[in-house]
Amino acid sequence: MIARHPLVVQRVNKALALIFLITLLIVMLFPFAIVTINAFKTPQEYASNGPLSLPGGFYTQGLKDFWKRVDFTNKLINSTVISVSVAIIGIGLALLNAFALGIGRVRGRVWFLILFLMANTLPQEALAYPLYYFAKYLGLYNTRLSVIIVLSVIQSAFGTYLLTSVFSTFPREIIEAARIDGANKLQLLTRIVAPISRPTLSVLFVFFFIWTWNEFFLPMILLVSTSNQTVPLAIAVLQGQHNMDATTSSASALLGILPCIVFFLLFQRTLTRGITAGSVK
Amino acid sequence: MRKKMLSFAILLLAVLVAVAPNLSSRAAAQEDKVLKIWHYESPNGAMGIAWQAAMDKFQELHPDVTIEFEARGFEEIRQTAPMILNSDEVPDVMEYNKGNATAGFLSQNGLLTDITDVAIERGWDQILSPGLQTTSRYENGIMGSGPWYGVTNYGEFVMVYYNVDMFEEYGVEVPTTLEEFENVMQTFVDAGITPLSLGATEYPAQHVFYQLVLSQADREWVDAFQLYQGDVDFHDEAFTFAAEKIVEWTERGFISEDSTGIPAEDMGVAFTNGEFPIMVSGSWWYGRFMNEITDFEWSTFLWPGNELHAGSGGNLWVVPANAKNKELAYDFIDITMSTEIQTLMGNEGGIPVNADLDQIEDPKIQELISNFNRIIEADGFAFYPDWPAPGYYDILVSGVQELIAGTMSPEEALDFLADPYFEYRETVTQ
Amino acid sequence: MTAQRSSLDRGYWVFMVPGALALLLVIIIPFLVNVAISFTEWNGITSPTFIGIENYERAAHDKTFWLSFKNNLYIIVSMTVIPTIVGLLLASFLYDYVANKIGKTAANIFRAGYYLPQILPVAIAGVVWRWILQPRWGVLNWLLGLVGIEPQNWLGDADIAIYSVMGIMVWFQIGYPLVIFMAALQRVDPELYEAASVDGANWFQKFVSITIHQIRPEIFVVVLMTLIHSLKIFAQIFVLTRGGPGRATMVPSYFSYQNFFERANIGYGATISTVMTVIIVVLTILFIRVQSRQELQEAL
Repeated sequence: MIARHPLVVQRVNKALALIFLITLLIVMLFPFAIVTINAFKTPQEYASNGPLSLPGGFYTQGLKDFWKRVDFTNKLINSTVISVSVAIIGIGLALLNAFALGIGRVRGRVWFLILFLMANTLPQEALAYPLYYFAKYLGLYNTRLSVIIVLSVIQSAFGTYLLTSVFSTFPREIIEAARIDGANKLQLLTRIVAPISRPTLSVLFVFFFIWTWNEFFLPMILLVSTSNQTVPLAIAVLQGQHNMDATTSSASALLGILPCIVFFLLFQRTLTRGITAGSVK
Repeated sequence: MRKKMLSFAILLLAVLVAVAPNLSSRAAAQEDKVLKIWHYESPNGAMGIAWQAAMDKFQELHPDVTIEFEARGFEEIRQTAPMILNSDEVPDVMEYNKGNATAGFLSQNGLLTDITDVAIERGWDQILSPGLQTTSRYENGIMGSGPWYGVTNYGEFVMVYYNVDMFEEYGVEVPTTLEEFENVMQTFVDAGITPLSLGATEYPAQHVFYQLVLSQADREWVDAFQLYQGDVDFHDEAFTFAAEKIVEWTERGFISEDSTGIPAEDMGVAFTNGEFPIMVSGSWWYGRFMNEITDFEWSTFLWPGNELHAGSGGNLWVVPANAKNKELAYDFIDITMSTEIQTLMGNEGGIPVNADLDQIEDPKIQELISNFNRIIEADGFAFYPDWPAPGYYDILVSGVQELIAGTMSPEEALDFLADPYFEYRETVTQ
Repeated sequence: MTAQRSSLDRGYWVFMVPGALALLLVIIIPFLVNVAISFTEWNGITSPTFIGIENYERAAHDKTFWLSFKNNLYIIVSMTVIPTIVGLLLASFLYDYVANKIGKTAANIFRAGYYLPQILPVAIAGVVWRWILQPRWGVLNWLLGLVGIEPQNWLGDADIAIYSVMGIMVWFQIGYPLVIFMAALQRVDPELYEAASVDGANWFQKFVSITIHQIRPEIFVVVLMTLIHSLKIFAQIFVLTRGGPGRATMVPSYFSYQNFFERANIGYGATISTVMTVIIVVLTILFIRVQSRQELQEAL
């Protein structure tokens, strides 16, 4: 893949590439910039100069008031507990399912895969009323546990599908070798298959965390008390019947996604670790 | 890496265990000593401030009661109220929307407490005029008469905000008839200015539409449309007039075609910036404009030529049927209706129903309240156009957008508005 | 091969039991309940009334219903077709050229940046995009004005609203295939590329016959998942246009939501979502069968 071009051309290519990528980056991140400049405006600045103007200073009072009003700390905790739980349980379920379908090649696996995927194909509005009545009946209405259970199943569908697809092309020689060495199925899963799939598992972990963090609809249905609610629901409080508190919304949105960004950055390293190159041999 | 994941998992487990009590059902607190209040008004708005003062007052009078207040979201309550109130996770008193589609619907399905006796006993029926009571009383899900299922403690109505400086600059006077209003707007158009700030992505456009309808309607018409007390014809004079006017006003440049891409929030901000001389919307902007408009002088007038105006009593306090502390809830509601709290609400830019008018300081607010009282005296409340059926709001937004965009003719748009209206009305009046 | 398989793969089904059980309780049964509801008229609180296939007949004649599916086709282009292709090219570019010639950190930074739109809550993204696309003072019209293009009513003009939404969906969606493909590329043995270079293959040939071929499981997954997401799209429509102007951007999910949560027409809402689900499931079945047939051919 290494081009054999003179150094100058290589440098020009690099510069062009960078220009293109950075322009694209600006386009992708521009909305974030807008959220940021509005996060620090006073409501008066916003009303007089509009959303696209720069703030005069660093106004944080709106955010502080909002934080207290909705007990944002509590919301952050709820969101974190739910998102991490769902990520872990979701990966667990997906791994188990995909192990059976992709490695074990269970009979009728195509149909099972489709069934598992149904968790993701169902529109959430369709689930709302049945899940509401089930949760009430089981005494789980207005509990974070109900949200964790439901979202774990929904997220694991994607995980099952991705992992099964990847496992289907898993090098059979490794499995054979392990079986010959006397490994049982559980050992096969935990000592060989799971470690090798680490990049994929990391991707799943990040996705599940972020998707669950931003889930709005089902948490809104299943969580009633504000003490149980999550960050997106708290931010929605700012959208009033006739008005919207734009500056506080921006501030709280930024705050609300910080954990996701931190999470994503933490897992960047795992996402880039290359490992299979050697093991296939 | 595996060790890290393992330790992370253990940490998580610890966290889960530590917060486990939160995971399972609500704490069985001393339920008789707790008052749960929910509302979705902004804490800096007139109602938010007044109701906070009411909570403080309540605490003084009931020192042994714990107040659990939850700041809710409007959209959230609108969407989930039928589910929440059909369970045990209810508050004792909460703010809720008025109208057939909301309070009417819930009352008909037994989710709200009938508070008629309380209203009479505590004199709320004396405080609220019959016009204001309409939204508090529902018979078989239709408002206007019957038992009290909620009570309102403030008012709201739609009016015309205008930029006094710009009116002076262009030599126009406050209009008193619809024709004069059109002339005023024509003057601005001729000067190259779009007169009306309109957020047609959301509710404002349907309010303008409704005001136009009301200019050709009467009380009987309103009662037929809103209270199902008579026949409704979507191709009658009033509706047709309004639909054609919307098209005409867009063609003449009174309404910008861009308005279909502008939400209510932007509409208000644009008026605040002096970009448009006129804005037609509700009293909920009043307090905000008082704080935020600093560059020019502004004022309001009632929609010229109309006896009827969009408006009503404000959102209701309702007591869910499953509430646990109804007596405390009634005490709280009573406090919000008291002169002291009402006067405070007025001074903060809201429209009170029971304020001591001598104590209202700001002349702008005095003007607001007196306009409101004029409507009360003329029995001019026509409520809001999206009330008659659930989900009608979206239909109206769509329909008026199609008129402005020219993608539907007036007849087509009116047909579009008619079907969902009759569909719901039939299920209710059966 | 069959003989070897049977001794190895008995007993794997056990691993599926927890997932299957959870699926049954949380998804399958509620779905069946939803189908049952679609044959009734219900307001969500009192008892439902059985009305047979009346809801389905109504849907068949409902213009909004058909319009919403037609709009879905546009969404599919913007959420599946474009992001997958762009994601593939971009992932390859970042993973290979950028990581090697400019630096791994640079590649990571770009990846993180391109993925960020997926993290922003849809509600806030909606507000911000409405500001950017505002007809009077929005940034886009201002930028276009600099090069002499007329300002447009991006979200309020019935003719172009759907295209504006499409553009926003591409912005939103690109990070998703990008991250998956970049993780997938790690599985590709670099020696394959070297061998191909020795054989004289150019960049494009290597891209098609090695890259795409090696990560085709992930490609299948991305295409199917984005397809499913496009068919289910709701939140973005809700915050950007609410199906408007008029019904120019109406989609099935929003239409069913309106019936569920605004019109208290639970039965009809259930009908729409059942139809949606059936379509999605059929597509899923077709897709997965094609995918597994491909795998079978590969294995031989």
